[in-house]
Amino acid sequence: MALSGMRGLSVFISDIRNCQNKEQERLRVDKELGNVRTRFKNEKGLTPYEKKKYVWKMLYIYMLGYDVDFGHMETVSLISAPKYPEKQARSYSTCMLNENHDFLRLAINTVRNDIIGRNETFQCLALTMVGNIGGREFAESLAPDVQKLLISSSCRPLVRKKAALCLLRLYRKNADVVNVDGWADRMTQLLDERDLGVLTSSMSLLVALVSNNHEAYWSCLPKCVKILERLARNQDVPQEYTYYGIPSPWLQVKTMRALQYFPVIEDPNTRRSLFEVLQRVLVGTDVVKNVNKNNASHAVLFEALSLVMHLDAEKEMMSQCVALLGKFIAVREPNIRYLGLENMTRMLMVTDVQEIIKKHQAQIITSLKDPDISIRRRALDLLYGMCDVSNAKDIVEELLQYLSTSDFAMREELSLKAAILAEKFAPDLSWYVDVILQLIDKAGDFVSDDIWFRVVQFVTNNEDLQPYAALKAREYLDKPAIHETMVKVSAYLLGEYSHLLARRPGCSPKEIFIIIHEKLPTVSTPTIPILLSTYAKILMHTQPPDPELQNQILAIFQKYESCIDAEIQQRAVEYFTLSRKGPALADILAEMPKFPERQSALIKKAEDIETDTAEQSAIKLRAQQQISNALVVTDYRPPNGTPPPVSSLNLVKVSSTSSNSDYNSVDQGADHTNGTVSKSDSQTASADLLGDLLGPLAIEGPPGAATSEQSVLSGGDVPSAADAAAIVPVQDQPNSVQPIGNIAERFHALCLKDSGVLYEDPYIQIGIKADWRAHQGRLVLFLGNKNTSPLVSVQALILPPLNLKMELSLVPDTIPPRAQVQCPLEIINLRPSRDVAVLDFSYKFGTNVVNNKLRLPAVINKFLQPIQLSAEEFFPQWRSLSGPPLKLQEVVRGVRPLPLMELANLFNSCRVMVCPGLDPNPNNLVASTTFYSESTRAMLCLVRIETDPADRTQLRMTVASGDPTLTFELKEFIKEQLVYIPEASHGPTQVPAPAVPQAPVIPPDDPAAILAGLL
Amino acid sequence: MPVAASAIYFLNLRGDVLINRLYRDDVGGNMVDAFRMHIMQTKELGTCPVRQIGGCSFLYMRISNVYIVIVVSGNANVACAFKFVVEAVALFKSYFGGAFDEDAIRNNFVLIYELLDEIMDFGYPQNLSPEILKLYITQEGVRSPFSSKPSERAVPNATLQVTGAVGWRREGLVYKKNEVFLDIVESVNLLMSSKGTVLRCDVTGKILMKCFLSGMPDLKLGLNDKIGLEKEAQLKSRPTKSGKTIELDDVTFHQCVNLTRFNSEKTVSFVPPDGEFELMKYRITEGVNFPFRVFPTIKELGRTRMEVNVKVKSAFGAKMFALGVVIKVPVPKQTAKANFQVTSGRAKYNASVDCLVWKIRKFPGQTEATMSAEVELISTMTEKMTSTKPPIQMEFQVPMFTASGLRVRFLKVWEKSGYNTVEWVRYITKAGSYEIRC
Repeated sequence: MALSGMRGLSVFISDIRNCQNKEQERLRVDKELGNVRTRFKNEKGLTPYEKKKYVWKMLYIYMLGYDVDFGHMETVSLISAPKYPEKQARSYSTCMLNENHDFLRLAINTVRNDIIGRNETFQCLALTMVGNIGGREFAESLAPDVQKLLISSSCRPLVRKKAALCLLRLYRKNADVVNVDGWADRMTQLLDERDLGVLTSSMSLLVALVSNNHEAYWSCLPKCVKILERLARNQDVPQEYTYYGIPSPWLQVKTMRALQYFPVIEDPNTRRSLFEVLQRVLVGTDVVKNVNKNNASHAVLFEALSLVMHLDAEKEMMSQCVALLGKFIAVREPNIRYLGLENMTRMLMVTDVQEIIKKHQAQIITSLKDPDISIRRRALDLLYGMCDVSNAKDIVEELLQYLSTSDFAMREELSLKAAILAEKFAPDLSWYVDVILQLIDKAGDFVSDDIWFRVVQFVTNNEDLQPYAALKAREYLDKPAIHETMVKVSAYLLGEYSHLLARRPGCSPKEIFIIIHEKLPTVSTPTIPILLSTYAKILMHTQPPDPELQNQILAIFQKYESCIDAEIQQRAVEYFTLSRKGPALADILAEMPKFPERQSALIKKAEDIETDTAEQSAIKLRAQQQISNALVVTDYRPPNGTPPPVSSLNLVKVSSTSSNSDYNSVDQGADHTNGTVSKSDSQTASADLLGDLLGPLAIEGPPGAATSEQSVLSGGDVPSAADAAAIVPVQDQPNSVQPIGNIAERFHALCLKDSGVLYEDPYIQIGIKADWRAHQGRLVLFLGNKNTSPLVSVQALILPPLNLKMELSLVPDTIPPRAQVQCPLEIINLRPSRDVAVLDFSYKFGTNVVNNKLRLPAVINKFLQPIQLSAEEFFPQWRSLSGPPLKLQEVVRGVRPLPLMELANLFNSCRVMVCPGLDPNPNNLVASTTFYSESTRAMLCLVRIETDPADRTQLRMTVASGDPTLTFELKEFIKEQLVYIPEASHGPTQVPAPAVPQAPVIPPDDPAAILAGLL
Repeated sequence: MPVAASAIYFLNLRGDVLINRLYRDDVGGNMVDAFRMHIMQTKELGTCPVRQIGGCSFLYMRISNVYIVIVVSGNANVACAFKFVVEAVALFKSYFGGAFDEDAIRNNFVLIYELLDEIMDFGYPQNLSPEILKLYITQEGVRSPFSSKPSERAVPNATLQVTGAVGWRREGLVYKKNEVFLDIVESVNLLMSSKGTVLRCDVTGKILMKCFLSGMPDLKLGLNDKIGLEKEAQLKSRPTKSGKTIELDDVTFHQCVNLTRFNSEKTVSFVPPDGEFELMKYRITEGVNFPFRVFPTIKELGRTRMEVNVKVKSAFGAKMFALGVVIKVPVPKQTAKANFQVTSGRAKYNASVDCLVWKIRKFPGQTEATMSAEVELISTMTEKMTSTKPPIQMEFQVPMFTASGLRVRFLKVWEKSGYNTVEWVRYITKAGSYEIRC
């Protein structure tokens, strides 16, 4: 190194290293910088040696992280220096300079001279410098030279290696430097290189190139495989490129990485030889003593594993991989174990191997107890990912056991995951309750509210579970010290269901009250309201009334009437007043009604966490891939779904959005005054679980009582009596299954969208996802069982209209509990028609046979393809289609009044593209689209709408196309869309049958169409 | 009284624990790791002395090369905690004889543990007075119980001492020569704009005493402060003297001062503790005499040159002189060289603080000194000059001068035996943050 002679520099560096702390170091650096500044400013000028020395010092200071913003002139002046040491200093110190700096322009020419010169060392230095700076100007002016160096045969490998890396740097900075067309061939040639050093550098370059654009470098693929073969057979690998007996592990890893960027390998020969190589790697790798060798061989191995996963190899190979991984997770070495676990988690993505992974469950559970937290986390992830119905019980119990000894940092995640697994795969519900209560007991602090909300929800919705849960809660209360969350759950459960236990010893209302009241002094403010509600419920359930208990409870209410916390105070006042109502109390404080089914907040939360950690989310990916395995009912309604949220109880929505938003703010302890009624409207699917439980307990009663209470208590938004009268307990209609939501609205929403919910009732949810391509379409029905018992005798029949050809794949006879099945449906459009296909769907739940005829949203506009026309294209077409039947005109009246913008949006959502600016009149719209069917092929359709700004309810519509039927059908369809008002159906539409949309013309010749009309 | 500390840690600059003591178990033993991770290793060190991490509050201050960290959970009295630290450091200093740093701590582990046990109980501060603690906690070795010679000095009665009427003074002190030393130490804080207007100025002063008096003397101190003089005039029913009187703000006294007499007669009377102590502290905001006036002119000549001229005038009496005058003129970071011409003292450019430092050892009163410097700057890659212009800072000490004009009118010592005492009075004015914008 040229530094040997520089005493000042080495003294400075040793000074810096001897500094005790950061402050001393800073002082020393500032002093040195002052010195350097003084020297640079010296009138006498500097000798090249001095200049070089100070530049090195500055570079060192810069590397320590200090700002060095002077000395660029001196640096640049080194550029022209002829000697090696100065050039060396220059090429390194230029990294202090910003790539956009003007001074660098001065350097380009000198550097270029070095690059095209003959001196190899200078070439190398120049390449290093160019790589370090890599600015746009450098890239533009020097890339061709660098490329030339790379492919020239006269250069030594040393230079070409550097050239490849330099080009890589330039490419990363500025992808334009490599011209894809010409370069792909060169790249292929480069891969024929015998020298492994050059090959490794070129491979790095290739990885970068391929990651951006794999198609252009298709020809490199067989070469990569060849290289792998060469390395694997250890042919022609010089001694210096074997590392602990492994032929150039770096090159192997890079090559495999490059291969992973290509989607598939089609050529069977290449594929076969690649698999041979991979097989060899998989078999040949073993754990040995030497750390370095292990590292190298495992780097190759794990890259090979991910390549195997990427290639979707045969099952045999996969199971071989899993077996290998299983071996690794049993190894002592923590790094290997970590990698083993991590890769196994990735393996879960590949479907078939799950069973094989399960064999290693015991070993994975042992890893949970590893001293290394990262290994524990990986093990947890893996356990979470591999859990299914068969092993849930073991895994959850293991997690629970582990919870009490685990690290604090992990407990929250652990408890959340345990809760989710218990919920997803519970064999029976009492087990689920047991697990969650244990969870709360063991890890109270780390159990988020969502977890206990969820268990309450479950208990409320399952009547047979209620006495059991209450009993369990009572048992936990006997423990000397319990966590506050446990107090909350127990108090809530006992308040609701303690009367079911009344006969048991120690469960009289009085005893329960005493044991809960004992906890009151220890709990925090948010818990007190729950306790108060519990007291009110106990009071209500005490029959015959116990005056002593009553006095005690009333005294508590009175005490809290002056509490500073508004929520507590309000509840105390309300309950106190309510308890004076005598028998009416029992009605008001009736049991909580069932909650609507909704996506588990826990799972949402887990997903959030996963995206947060941004770790490799194999589990999530898997969840996405196999949606049908996601057992918890998922809501296919898109987040901004057009149908308004509808109650599972088929209630009319009690009040407008104002009460809803009020309701959503409950968790902030906001003052929502309509304490008595808000529960019934909370049944409308607010996604906010928190609100349900933290809001005052449901006090739902017969309409009369409720309304009278409201007028006493609530000042603000009182729902009208008519609305309140619509509150009907679900038990009133036990035998008929009511669909959730308006089927017609859902159908109309789906006419404009491609995915969403088609039908929902308390037992089943049918979602749809459609994909349309010209005259063909593929529609997937998602049949999701929302219940914990299977749906049997499931039948689905398609009644296609004459214009559509449909093929429905087999629908299974039963849908297992909480499972979802997918039924793809292939659709081919034969000719234009507005007729709709009907799905005749039936199933049996318990003794109920439910049968529904649902229209499928395979409507005419799905086969449209919007097209934007210019004026020159439009008008000749418009003129050539003249008069009926190709061009039809109609004045439509009774149109929903819409601003022009929204009208245009409506057209666009029907896939009829509005072409702005074609019509000179701003009140008119001109739109165009292409229709596809088997008979007409692609057919251009043109639409013109003339609106009357004075009267928005009428307009004149002209539709033109090359086919008379198409023109007619399209006109009628658009008319339907214009006249139909999606939002119109609010109001008490309790009827399950959808409102019949105004279909003015029903062609009498088509049975399916008639059927659709009747629906 | 609220809790002041749950645990106290002494850390060196690298974050190693030198000594720690847990007073309550409401904080974990590894709290200091949190401090190291979240405060010491971040840039926030030194920005805010109180930080909350995970339910615990960390109160810390740096003294020479030691961080003293107090950890509390719950609602603690922060002011009390900091006062405790300051007092504790004063105590340690008086035990170690001056310095308090990492080495001093390492050399006195046992003593510090002993003291930490004594000065705080279960998070509540206890007696921190060095005079009293020194009676019981000594650095002498443990006496063997079998040693034949009984201790010569009677073991002082600790309870009586602490709970007695004059808890801060021991009975039966005898000195051959009875002496009292009284120092008035003032520090002047000034911020002046470049145009010469005073933006902020105040004087914080304290009266330090050192007593070597026998018996139980009663002392009475008279100052030329406004209230005291008015009261005296009122008592003696004669008109107030027309001379300059000083208005003292925020006066705080040592616990030995008899406050009832101060309230009624406005005189400071007290039975002093033995040895050194701080009698009172005060602050003055009006009528401050600045010892120095500074007139800077700084001209930028192009991008790479600057001219700095600083004239300093001393405003105190001609017979007095200031010592150790240092004037620091900030210059831009890219300063390369500076050529100086000074009328007195020496000046040089100090790159590690980015200042021109001008030192004058002795500066007589009613004179002036000038420095002119030509500063050369190096050109930088970033085009703009640094826009921050820190103020000129000044350090000095002026003996026998008080910026407030406070004077001791009398210091009377009265003792039963009626011995003669020698009183020594000194005045000194120092620079606090004495800054002039330029």
